[in-house]
Amino acid sequence: MTDTTDSLPVIRARNLSKSFGKFRALKDVSFEVPLGRIVGVIGANGAGKTTLLNSILGLGSYEGDLSVLGLNPSRQRGRLMRDVCFIADIATLPKWMKVEEVLDYVQSVHPRFNRSKALDFLARTNIPRGRLIRALSKGMTVQLHLAIVMSTDAKLLVLDEPTLGLDILFRKQFYQSLLEEYFDETRTVIITTHQVGEIEHILTDVMFIKDGRILLEANMDELTGQYTEVMVAPGKEQEAMALGPISTGTTFGKTTCVYKDIDREKLAGLGEIRRLGLADIFVATITGEEQ
Amino acid sequence: MNTFSALVKREVLDGKNGYIRVPVILTGITLILMVLSSLGLGSFMTFDGMKQEGINNLADVLNTLANKEPGDMSAGITGIYWLATGLVWVAFPFVIFFSLLGALYEERRDRSILFWKSMPVSDWQEVVAKFFTPVIMTPLFFLGVVIAAQIFIATFLSMLMVVQGGPVLGLWPLSLMVSSWLTFVVHYTLWLLWALPVLAWLLFVSSYASRMPFLWAVLAPIVLIVVEAMFFRSNMIANWFGLHLGGWQGEAYGALEGHIDGPDQAMQMLLGQAALEGLRYTLGSVQFWIGLVISGGLVFGAIKMRQRAL
Repeated sequence: MTDTTDSLPVIRARNLSKSFGKFRALKDVSFEVPLGRIVGVIGANGAGKTTLLNSILGLGSYEGDLSVLGLNPSRQRGRLMRDVCFIADIATLPKWMKVEEVLDYVQSVHPRFNRSKALDFLARTNIPRGRLIRALSKGMTVQLHLAIVMSTDAKLLVLDEPTLGLDILFRKQFYQSLLEEYFDETRTVIITTHQVGEIEHILTDVMFIKDGRILLEANMDELTGQYTEVMVAPGKEQEAMALGPISTGTTFGKTTCVYKDIDREKLAGLGEIRRLGLADIFVATITGEEQ
Repeated sequence: MNTFSALVKREVLDGKNGYIRVPVILTGITLILMVLSSLGLGSFMTFDGMKQEGINNLADVLNTLANKEPGDMSAGITGIYWLATGLVWVAFPFVIFFSLLGALYEERRDRSILFWKSMPVSDWQEVVAKFFTPVIMTPLFFLGVVIAAQIFIATFLSMLMVVQGGPVLGLWPLSLMVSSWLTFVVHYTLWLLWALPVLAWLLFVSSYASRMPFLWAVLAPIVLIVVEAMFFRSNMIANWFGLHLGGWQGEAYGALEGHIDGPDQAMQMLLGQAALEGLRYTLGSVQFWIGLVISGGLVFGAIKMRQRAL
């Protein structure tokens, strides 16, 4: 059993491309996402994140070979959605429906929807069940959507900027319930967000995207292990420069250097060291690419 | 089937103003006016200014009629019930028109399409439900309201006749009423099948237009008609629309034989011969079958558009 699930990736893309007129939003992208991961797709605006996620979800056409849970998303979206759920970056719940009516609808079209589970989630919020979606706050709408998503027992969950426009408390709560109530080793989550710092502790893998190409695909632990930032002690600047930092800067009058793939013990002699945050790694990778 | 009925239910819920509120309100207004005019405006027991010998109120009219022409009385009463509930049918084509035009447009405009697409429902199921609901559910709801209103009118008039001393039983030509309801279904079905390509055009526009579907739906054919008239000096497109939106009836029923003498015969003709004649003409018409093929193409196009839509 374990072997078969291990050998079959949740997503497999081969030479995936997508053009909007002359603009090539995705350029021959190939990657695999195994089961039981939380993958962060990080990239600047217009890098192709949403295009990539839309292809995976069967929203719109693409060229190349793409298999999600063994299905062809563009031709089998209806079937695929039994096991995949997604929240897009904008509020998409139908505004004219009441909370109760949305639950009724999902219950009647989704074979794996667990209504009592959804009601359980809602009971912990102050969303009135008889209210129109239109009358819910942005935060409540996202909570409701998350409650529905987490009650459909999806194997793959795709989140495209799910917390856009939410305040920090909601965002924290959102990712916490995602980890506690939804995620386990049989499920996979793909997530994009600009608030990289808020999700880096929950990610197992990252994918950096730039101009329609994947710059980097890595395991979070390995990736953060590669980068070290050193706040260089006074007098050790020359020694620090000799080790070839990938970037340098100044903080509180001290020189800071960022190193890649250099032994931590060696660096510890130069001054105070710390791990680099994902956002900084992303910036370093992008700038490294440009040089 | 469960999915399909859930989709239809959702569509009805979305369009409940058109499907339910419009007929209920229009019928309500008619009924209130009718009741008020019979009870409150002084003609409750006697007609004002009635010159005819021996006829003072509605009861006398009906009694006279019932004695003279019992067949015409039944047909006349059924006809009056339809006339009295006629106002809702003015709104009927508008409800179908705007429901179809919004079917695949509104969900793109408010982006709820992304939620619908996150459900295990295929695009063809969605499109078929969005076509089915306006063209099948609208007449069913409207007819339901009309039937309720006709029964209300019959009940109300019966009570009036009890007080005035008129023929209560004569107000309940039940078999004729029921067959008139069924006839509506038959004639509507024929009308629908003929109009299908035009209705499918509306659905296609709603799947295609990025904005202003109304202009697309109406202006595009008008431009085509004008261009044809200017450059080819013909009006085939206009004739095509005319034929499918009711013009076929002239051909189908033009051949009906016999002279109509009184409401009884008119009603009989409408219920039996006309429906058969309409069906016979329809099935034999090449235009009709071409229309069906065009409808299929347009619905297929709408499904393709829905698959790409975001």
